[in-house]
Amino acid sequence: MSVADGIDVPLGDRPAAATRLNWSKLLPWGFAGLVFALCLVPFFLVLAISFGRKVEGAAWVWDFTFENYQRFFVGTLWPDEVTFLYIGQLGYSFWYAVIASCIAVLTALPFTLLLTRLRRSAQAAWLVFILSSLSLSEVFIVMGWDILLSNNSGLPALFKSTGLTQWLKDTGHFQTLRDWGLANPRNVKFKTSDFATILTMSYLVWPYAVILLYPALSRMDPSHSEAARTMGANNWQVLRTVILPSVRLPLFGTTLLLFVFLLGTYVAVTVFADPAKHTTAVAIYQNVRGANLNAPFGATMAVILLVSAGICLTLGHMLNRWAAAR
Amino acid sequence: MRALGHLYMALSALVLALPIVVVSGAALNGGRSMFFPPQDPTLSRFAEFFLTEPVWTNALQNSIIVAVGAASLAVLLAWPIAYMLWSSGSKLAQVIAGLGSLPFAVPPIVFGVGLGFYWGFLGGLGDLWAGVVSHAVLLMALPLVTISIGLQSIDRSHLDAAATMGATDAQAFRTVVLPQTLPYTLSGFFFVLVLSFNEFIVMFFVSASSYATVTLQIFNSLRNGYTPTMAVAAITFIVVSIAVFSAIARWGDLPRLMGADQSRN
Repeated sequence: MSVADGIDVPLGDRPAAATRLNWSKLLPWGFAGLVFALCLVPFFLVLAISFGRKVEGAAWVWDFTFENYQRFFVGTLWPDEVTFLYIGQLGYSFWYAVIASCIAVLTALPFTLLLTRLRRSAQAAWLVFILSSLSLSEVFIVMGWDILLSNNSGLPALFKSTGLTQWLKDTGHFQTLRDWGLANPRNVKFKTSDFATILTMSYLVWPYAVILLYPALSRMDPSHSEAARTMGANNWQVLRTVILPSVRLPLFGTTLLLFVFLLGTYVAVTVFADPAKHTTAVAIYQNVRGANLNAPFGATMAVILLVSAGICLTLGHMLNRWAAAR
Repeated sequence: MRALGHLYMALSALVLALPIVVVSGAALNGGRSMFFPPQDPTLSRFAEFFLTEPVWTNALQNSIIVAVGAASLAVLLAWPIAYMLWSSGSKLAQVIAGLGSLPFAVPPIVFGVGLGFYWGFLGGLGDLWAGVVSHAVLLMALPLVTISIGLQSIDRSHLDAAATMGATDAQAFRTVVLPQTLPYTLSGFFFVLVLSFNEFIVMFFVSASSYATVTLQIFNSLRNGYTPTMAVAAITFIVVSIAVFSAIARWGDLPRLMGADQSRN
């Protein structure tokens, strides 16, 4: 019987069935290859080129040298001379990103909490607004704040015309602003300053903070807060003992994600930060595309930025797990 | 306390809207410089941006080609991954999904530098199609998430019902899976569309100055000072974003896409 069955099958069918089987097995692997080539190879290239060498008057050549890394950490002339210029730039990257992400999350938390208490349709309307501002290009945002903060228009002009500048001078607060670098002898000034840089950067990620906090806060059970209130807790106590502990992990996770995102900010820093306080992202640009034309060194800084981000994410993840286990 | 809450939300909205309002207002200026409030208001800047100024019309055309192309390609790349993840949940599918989300998770400047080298070797640097592929890869994570949410919302009993009634896998896919995930697929498409439209840094490295999208053109013009025509671009972009997200909110479930709790309404 089985022999007859075997003969009955038309000859053409078997290979067809075999190829179909192979197709369904091969397709995921083919796809894996495609995604690998598109998503991962660019990062490998950055890593490989970071060990390359610049050729004076030409481009660069493949090599395997740690010179670029040495230059980043201690300078080219080490051990005779040590410079921490590039480490300093990385430090500014961290400084701006830490402060801006913390400000964004802390101010977005109450907003998101209030948002989740609204009707569903009202929430959708707010989300449209938040998402539109989230997707608005960095260049437009910087342009807007640049107009608002520049010396001839915007806030400084407003300060002057409303007499606020004069009032600050009379009360002596003007000197404090000057000490902070937020005023010249005649009027307040916000460009260039850390204040403007951090303001714009936290504005940049604020909608992201809302969107990232939204799921966790909207799943929070309101009956816990109500129970606490019935037992006589005031708003502050409810916030401190019920809400904050239950959103501690998403709060921390959001800050971390925004921090990593902000490490690579380019436009806001070039426009608003003091040139002496420019970040690694700006230096990467200058080496890869800008005046310096030292692609391997740019790639080295990109690798170091990526590794720093990775270390922060890993540390954060470990801290999260440790906190969750306790 | 309630009033205080409303006040805080209003204040947040105000600060959020402030730079957008200022830029929009500046678009109405009659002269060549930006003033706020606008002086000698006119709408002729809109004609310049959309019709007469080749620098801007070319940039707008490039932006549209890149955004639509990248959104289509990103959805095509994300669909099989999301489907594999949903139907098999295999280790391989998880790895592919992880890899696909990687470019979106790292600081974009690093991926931009990488893509600059990548297309330099493959010979696409400065070509528009390389820009399309770059944005599709960068933003693939978004349709991957929305389509996955859509697939998870399918009631498996519908699939069982289709199977008992004799539908083949392909038929069940066409009649059950595809229609139920369509809103999520479209949401993913439009998320990529809007973000690609506004993306700057990756395009900056990939275009190698041989073509400009609107955001690139604006950055290039930053050094020469602002012109009201740039503000028209900003208005166009914000209007497109609001229209797209309103459409998603109207025809899809925006709070659910953003991860809101299902049980409360």
